[in-house]
Amino acid sequence: MDDDQMRATIAGMLACGLETEVWPRAGTSEEVNAIVARLQVEAGDNLERKLVIAGFTDHTIEADGIEQPCETCMYYKVHARFCDLPELMLPVEPEWSCRLWRI
Amino acid sequence: MANLLWLQGGACSGNTMSFLNAEEPSACDLVTDFGINVLWQPSLGLELGDQVKEIIEKCISGEIKLDIFVFEGTVINAPNGTGEWNRFCGRPMKDWVKELSAAADFVVAIGDCATYGGIPATAPNPTDSVGLQFLKRAKGGALGDGFTAKSGLPVINIPGCPAHPDWVTQILVAVATGRAGDLTLDEFHRPKTFFSSFTQTGCTRNMHFAYKVSTTAFGQRKGCLFYDLGCRGPMTHSPCNRILWNRHSSKTRAGMPCLGCTEPEFPFFDLAPGTVFKTQTVMGVPKDMPEGVDKKGYIKLTAAAKGAAPAWAEEDIFVV
Repeated sequence: MDDDQMRATIAGMLACGLETEVWPRAGTSEEVNAIVARLQVEAGDNLERKLVIAGFTDHTIEADGIEQPCETCMYYKVHARFCDLPELMLPVEPEWSCRLWRI
Repeated sequence: MANLLWLQGGACSGNTMSFLNAEEPSACDLVTDFGINVLWQPSLGLELGDQVKEIIEKCISGEIKLDIFVFEGTVINAPNGTGEWNRFCGRPMKDWVKELSAAADFVVAIGDCATYGGIPATAPNPTDSVGLQFLKRAKGGALGDGFTAKSGLPVINIPGCPAHPDWVTQILVAVATGRAGDLTLDEFHRPKTFFSSFTQTGCTRNMHFAYKVSTTAFGQRKGCLFYDLGCRGPMTHSPCNRILWNRHSSKTRAGMPCLGCTEPEFPFFDLAPGTVFKTQTVMGVPKDMPEGVDKKGYIKLTAAAKGAAPAWAEEDIFVV
């Protein structure tokens, strides 16, 4: 599956109501580390588990007064529309969001 | 000729090892070209035991003029303020340090331990270590805030873990050749000539910093190490990317985040698990911003920079 197909698959899963762990956001570095550890142990290559644990949404979430779209996240590759976090490595859309967002 | 005496306290000898690798000028150049007479140095001195003690006592009494006293490592006060955990030539090193500092024209602290306490002074600081004139950011240390050497200068601090060899030899040459008046020290007694710019100044990853492209693993040549791997280059004062290490590299050039070892707080966050090589964040925003940048401005800048990032910034342009 190429990136466009994978992106469309993810969009479909989110549009169909996949319940992900949107909250709580990773407020501290310790919380980030805990979520990343869960991705490593529980998700592996399982796409659905990745989306659930990372708290993916197909729209931007605002937390603590800051909008958290993929578009401004450090792991987002603008031209590839791709999340470069090693534990995720997923094609995404700029307006999507997850709780591992960092700027 | 300028007489130089070098002693070590709570130290790993890393700064001596660094000093011996100096090239511009080298340790030998100090002696042959710049008239520095090394009275004794732990790795170079031929004297042992009572012979060393005699040299030190003559420096204190004035029989030997002590132009430059160099100290490496922390001043150890444990147990109970006695300093007995670090004895040297028959008495606590801290006592020698005090008397030699009073006798010297210039006192130079080399490395993070001697300047600010460094790793030994990290909580819970079991050796009750301090730097010569600071404990982390707090003024005081072993000699006290008001201390000045006979020249009128406070302790000249050359921090680093270790300090770059050429920072050491160049400052020693300046002092030994009567150019100490040209030295301007910052609030932490660091020579401004070396410690006004940032580690980031000259970093080969600056374009990745500008376009907000992150490195995600050690050793990657693309991406900036600040965003994820805890690099302190944008807020650390050092010339590590101007005066290169081994003449050709630096931590950040090799894919290793700057640890901020020339700053008084080093090691940061008391080395708590999960704080080393990981950018500390609050709600996704770095706790420690590049110096002079506020949170609001940082978020705005990042959004704009990512939007403007060219495709090549996301690739490894060093691969041909």
